[in-house]
Amino acid sequence: MSLLHLSFYSAFTLSGLGLAFHRTHLISALLCLESMMLSMYLALSIWPIENQATSFTLTPVLMLAFSACEAGAGLAMLVASTRTHGSDHLHNLNLLQC
Amino acid sequence: MNPHAMLVSTLSLLLGTTITISSNHWVMAWTGLEINTLAIIPFISEPHHPRAIEATVKYFLVQATASPLLLFSSMSNAWATGQWDITQLTHPTSCILLTIAISMKLGLVPFHFWFPEVLQGSSMTTALLLSTALKLPPITILLMTSHSLNPTLLTIMAISSAALGGWMGLNQTQIRKILAFSSISHMGWMVVIIIYNPNLTLLTFYLYTLMTTTVFLTLSTTKTLKLTTMMTSWTKTPMLTATLMMTLLSLAGLPPLTGFLPKWLIIQELTKREMTLTATIMAMLSLLGLFFYLRLAYYSTITLPPNTTNHMKQWHTNKTTSTPVAILTSLATLLLPLSPMILTTL
Repeated sequence: MSLLHLSFYSAFTLSGLGLAFHRTHLISALLCLESMMLSMYLALSIWPIENQATSFTLTPVLMLAFSACEAGAGLAMLVASTRTHGSDHLHNLNLLQC
Repeated sequence: MNPHAMLVSTLSLLLGTTITISSNHWVMAWTGLEINTLAIIPFISEPHHPRAIEATVKYFLVQATASPLLLFSSMSNAWATGQWDITQLTHPTSCILLTIAISMKLGLVPFHFWFPEVLQGSSMTTALLLSTALKLPPITILLMTSHSLNPTLLTIMAISSAALGGWMGLNQTQIRKILAFSSISHMGWMVVIIIYNPNLTLLTFYLYTLMTTTVFLTLSTTKTLKLTTMMTSWTKTPMLTATLMMTLLSLAGLPPLTGFLPKWLIIQELTKREMTLTATIMAMLSLLGLFFYLRLAYYSTITLPPNTTNHMKQWHTNKTTSTPVAILTSLATLLLPLSPMILTTL
C-alpha cells in the first residue's frame, strides 16, 4: 500500500478512535466526526487525479455538502442538548437507561 | 409539527430510501443513507423534551459514525480493485468494515446499545419508522454485498443478536424497549441466513415489518407505553386488545400464525446446509423472546386487572376505528396458509 493510502487509513482510523473514545464532551465527538469526513474528502479528491477519471471530480464536493449538512445537524443537537441537559457532557445523557 | 417541515422530512425519508435501494455506486448508497439520517432527526426530536433530545443525540452519533465507515470501506475497496460497484466488494478489510458499518446502522449485536434507548426516547410513530423503514436501506446493502462477506462473523453476530435481544428484553417494563429488543433478535434471524438464501432474509424482513407495524399501530391507538398502562387498555378497545394478543404471538413465531413462516424456513435452510447446531441454538434463543411476548399478551388480554370504572368497558370511547390496523392485523396473523404463493413470488 502506498504512503498516500497509508496516511488516509491512519487519519481515518485515528479520527474514528477519537470519536469512539471521547469521554467528556459531545463537541469533541462532533470534531472527530468532522475530521473523519475531512479525510474522506481528501481521499475522494485524490481518486480522480490518480485514475484520470475526470467525471469523478464532482464526488468530493457532493460528499462535502452532505457532511456539512450533517455537521450542522450535529451542532443543532449540541445546542438542543445544552438547552435540555444543561451542558454537553456525555455522562448527563443517562435518562433513558435500561 | 409544522406541516411544511413534516412534508419535507417525509419526502426526504422516501427519497433517501429510494436512492439507496436503487443504487449501483457506493457514493449513491452513502448519499441515501445520509439523507435518511438527516430526515429522521426532526421526527425524533420533535417533542423537545430531554428524553427526545437525548435519543436524537444518540441516534445521530451512531448513524454519523457508521456513514463514513461505510464510505471508507468502499474507498479502500476502490483502492484495491479500482471500481465502486456495490456488488463487487472483494477486498477483505472492506468487507469487515462494511459489516461493522451496516451492523451499526441495523443494531446488530456488538453495536446494538443505542437502539433501545433511541426507541424509548421517541414517540410511537417515530419508533415505528426507526424499526421498519430505516432498516430497509442497510438490509438492501447487506443483501447486495452478502456473497462476499465473512460467514463466521455474520453467524456470530446473528446468534448473539438473537441471544441478547431475548435476554435483555426479559427485564423490561417499557414497551418501546421490549419492541427494540424484539427488533434486535429479528435482525439476528435475518442475518443468519443471508449468505445461504438471501430471499429468506427479504421474506423475514417483509413479515417482520408487517408484524411490527401492526403492533406499533395497535399500541399507539390504545396509547400504551408501559406494561402497567397495558393492563387497563382492554377497557378501551376490547377487540383490538384481543387481536393484539394474536399479533404478539405471531411476532414470537408461534405456529399457526404468520410469524412462524420465516423461522420455519430459516431453520429448514440451515439444516439443509448442515448447520444444525446453529439452527438449534437460534430456535432455543427465540424462546426467550417468547417469554416477554407472552408476558405482554398475558397482561393485556389473558388476565383481567381491576380497571378504573365499575363497568367492563369505559363509557367514554374515542372511537378510533382505523382501517390500516385492521388490514395489517389480518395479514400479520393469517398469512401462513399462503406460504407457497409467498415463496414462489419472492
